[in-house]
Amino acid sequence: MRDYLTFVLKRLVQLAAVVFAGISAAFFITHMSPISPVEMIVGRVAAQASFSPQALQDLREALTELFAADLPLHIKYLNFWARFVVGDLGPSLIAFPTPAMQLVMRALPWTVGLLAVAIVMSWTIGNLLGGLAGYYQNNRFLKAFGVVAMGIQPIPYYIVAFLLVLIFGYFWPVLPISGGFAMNVRPGFTMEYILSILHHSILPAASLVIVGLGISFLGMRALVSNIVTEDYVTYAELAGVKSERVVFFYVIRNAAVPQLTGLAMALGGIFSGTIITEQVFGYPGLGTLLVTAVNGGDTTLVLAVSSMAVVAVASAIFVIDLLHPLLDPRVRVK
Amino acid sequence: MKKWKTLLASAGLFALMASVPAVAQDVPPITEFPREQTMIVHNPENPAINPDWFNLWVAGHGGGTSTGLHQLVTDTLWYIDPNAGIDGSLYSSLAAEPWSYNDDFTEMTVKLREGLYWSDGVEFTAADVVYTVETLKAHSAFGASANLNRHVASVEAVDDHTVLFKLNAPNSRFHSAFAVRWNAAWIMPKHIFEQHENPTEFDFNPPVGLGPYTLNSYDPNGAWYIWEKREDWERTSVAQYGEPGPQYIIYRSIPNIDNRLIEMVNGNLDMIHDLTPEAMFSLVQQDETARGWFPGFPFAHPDPTLPAIILNNQNELFSDRRVRWALTLMLDARQISMASYRGAATLSPIAIPPTGTHLDDYHSQLQDWLIDFELDTGSSVIKPYDPDIGLQVAEMVRPQFGDQVPTDPNEIRRAFGFGWWGQNLEAAAELLEDAGFTRQGNDWYTPNGERFAFTLKTFESGVINRFGTMAAQQWTQAGVQVDVEVDPVIFPTSMPLGDFDALTAWTIESWGGDPDLSFFLDSWHSEFLVEPGERQSPRNFQRFEHPELDRIIEEVRVTEFGTPENLALGHEFARLMVEEMPLIPMMSYNVFAAYSERYWTGFPDAVERPYANPVTNWANSRYIFTQVEPAQ
Repeated sequence: MRDYLTFVLKRLVQLAAVVFAGISAAFFITHMSPISPVEMIVGRVAAQASFSPQALQDLREALTELFAADLPLHIKYLNFWARFVVGDLGPSLIAFPTPAMQLVMRALPWTVGLLAVAIVMSWTIGNLLGGLAGYYQNNRFLKAFGVVAMGIQPIPYYIVAFLLVLIFGYFWPVLPISGGFAMNVRPGFTMEYILSILHHSILPAASLVIVGLGISFLGMRALVSNIVTEDYVTYAELAGVKSERVVFFYVIRNAAVPQLTGLAMALGGIFSGTIITEQVFGYPGLGTLLVTAVNGGDTTLVLAVSSMAVVAVASAIFVIDLLHPLLDPRVRVK
Repeated sequence: MKKWKTLLASAGLFALMASVPAVAQDVPPITEFPREQTMIVHNPENPAINPDWFNLWVAGHGGGTSTGLHQLVTDTLWYIDPNAGIDGSLYSSLAAEPWSYNDDFTEMTVKLREGLYWSDGVEFTAADVVYTVETLKAHSAFGASANLNRHVASVEAVDDHTVLFKLNAPNSRFHSAFAVRWNAAWIMPKHIFEQHENPTEFDFNPPVGLGPYTLNSYDPNGAWYIWEKREDWERTSVAQYGEPGPQYIIYRSIPNIDNRLIEMVNGNLDMIHDLTPEAMFSLVQQDETARGWFPGFPFAHPDPTLPAIILNNQNELFSDRRVRWALTLMLDARQISMASYRGAATLSPIAIPPTGTHLDDYHSQLQDWLIDFELDTGSSVIKPYDPDIGLQVAEMVRPQFGDQVPTDPNEIRRAFGFGWWGQNLEAAAELLEDAGFTRQGNDWYTPNGERFAFTLKTFESGVINRFGTMAAQQWTQAGVQVDVEVDPVIFPTSMPLGDFDALTAWTIESWGGDPDLSFFLDSWHSEFLVEPGERQSPRNFQRFEHPELDRIIEEVRVTEFGTPENLALGHEFARLMVEEMPLIPMMSYNVFAAYSERYWTGFPDAVERPYANPVTNWANSRYIFTQVEPAQ
């Protein structure tokens, strides 16, 4: 137990170091952007109205002061960490003066909801079918599924998404192709609202599941194909262990360990959002927020999203690291 | 084996059950509002990232503007329509009449319309205007703050319906601060904002406006906003043009172009802000109720701005007008039209967008001058203008689009452009040789012996990218080595910093519905020109200066809006631009805005009802709602 606690402590220090390095990198990369939020706003105002050059210069100076855009980089860096530790990254520069974290927290549930369900679904179904396909290698249905998975997997995600829009929005218009829920439904904890969200999430979730399913399926099938040739599997079969028990408890369980790492990293990656899904299906979430922030030069908002992504991915890996010695006896804590 | 088969069967059954609610219905209803009372409009903005925020005075608020908020709720003193307008392009909105200046343009008096009320029932008075100006001036976070501080010394309510602005310096165009082209400084409800100590931190939710609609509901994710007609719409400024038709107006953000097309075909969208040329052609083929600005090809609405090749005149390479003209004559406008807009461009040989009333005020009136215009190449004198290029483009697209392409030459000229500069490689060569350039084989060399080469920056995609790529290709074929560089920061960085040799972008934003050019032209005065490397304030991004240009601008400054003298100065500007060619004008910014007549009729179009710009994010599109009627 003491060894395990030492192991946890080491991993905790590693987690803190990864988060610090990751967020620092995000900070400096974000500040290398050639896009200035001040100039974006001045440009927009200038395009929309007939302001004199002197007035635009006055506006530029006012916004520069308001956004503290002329502070030296190292001062901005220190200010950022001072704000980060209290959980307030400051106002968004493209939604001034609304706090950046408020914008992130509004978009986050949609992304987490959609991606978590899609990832878990594609991971579970893909691994289950992949495991069975690797074990029952002569089953015709699973063979056919393998062919389909191999065929779909290389197709770029956006093509799959567009095909779904065309099929279910145009040729057979039975599913909504835009938005997070119907306009005639008021948000609230009601069955109508929940069903509307589910209804609107079918196509975006399906697009993610279809692509993700193939990846999990093929990975698991390859892993299981190797494991079934292991001696302990042969012995178990010769000993008369039921095939269902062999496949689920001897084979898939062992093959699932590396797949679990992939699942954790995928779940951690949720916090970066799904930019293409949101654009294609007009679905709310972090992806659009991040793109808008990058295009607007809003360093505060970009850092709010990227900091959350760094913390989420690092934490997911941390949790998996902690679970590994418990799940897989071959991994030792020393 | 049985267990996993059972598992698979269960999964299949679950999937089937999940799809039943969707399959059991026809096209999914998107609204509970009666369709014959509801208009659904496309908002081209991405879903608002700060959807609860309606205080649109704050610079960069993130709350969405074209959500219906600035079309249906806010209001200000005047609107200048980019097209003909319902009763002329100038609308006196909250003002009862046009602006009135004193003799030296240091004071502007505004008579306000009486009998107007805020949507919460409070009467609109001069106190609201005074409060707006003083509040905007006092808080630099408001976008209009700097402009008002620069120009306004004081503002006072002479009486409940008269406002007097005293200006810091003579300014004959101060009214433009409160005259909507795309937007303007909106008037604030004093009785609402004065309750908040810091009005820049007030979200203004729900908004209280002077427009004919109020907020019904909105998507907390910022994708749609639903507005409902005020019961007392007669107490708003648009009432003078009739009752707005729709009881409800929904603005939807639909980022994906394919989805817009599909939603209109499915009856879930009545107005689309923009499509690609290809999507527009597809839409009118598939949906017989779908229309564009022009009844046939090219369908698109020419917005009052001008895609052009902007040459950096501070670059020595382009400092000689003969070189600029040679580059112009190397271009084939027909190919550029086909490459950029698939032929659906409205070409412009002059540096004024061919749209709105400019077609009559400038393009028609300058035709004879353009036809007679002579250019001395050093070896010969040529007449470079080809008045039939628009007709030629029409013939190029006719095999594909057939009856949709107009046959009347005048109609073609208004849709495809009156003409452009004919490609003349021989004259271009003479001009370059006259400027000291030499040719080796097909390659041109500058007077100092270097290869005539430069980089053309352009957008990542879309018509502007296609336009730039084709122009560069034509120059390269003519012996000038032009590399195309995609630049994602043309507007915020490259263009103002002068970090380019040449680029394609839109420029020359005009009122569209009025010949006055001050909207873009005043900033072209040489007093605002900066040194190379310094940030150039909009809009003289070609960094061009000329004594004659300064004279024209100075005369415009003391010439009344809407007078023959003002138009004459506009003609002088257009002629100077032709003679000097500091930028190469190409065409109007054609927006493939579409509308469907399935549920509503009476939309504006180029031929029968050119009363408004159908491009939905313009604030003056609000007048459209007073002209539409249910289709059945």
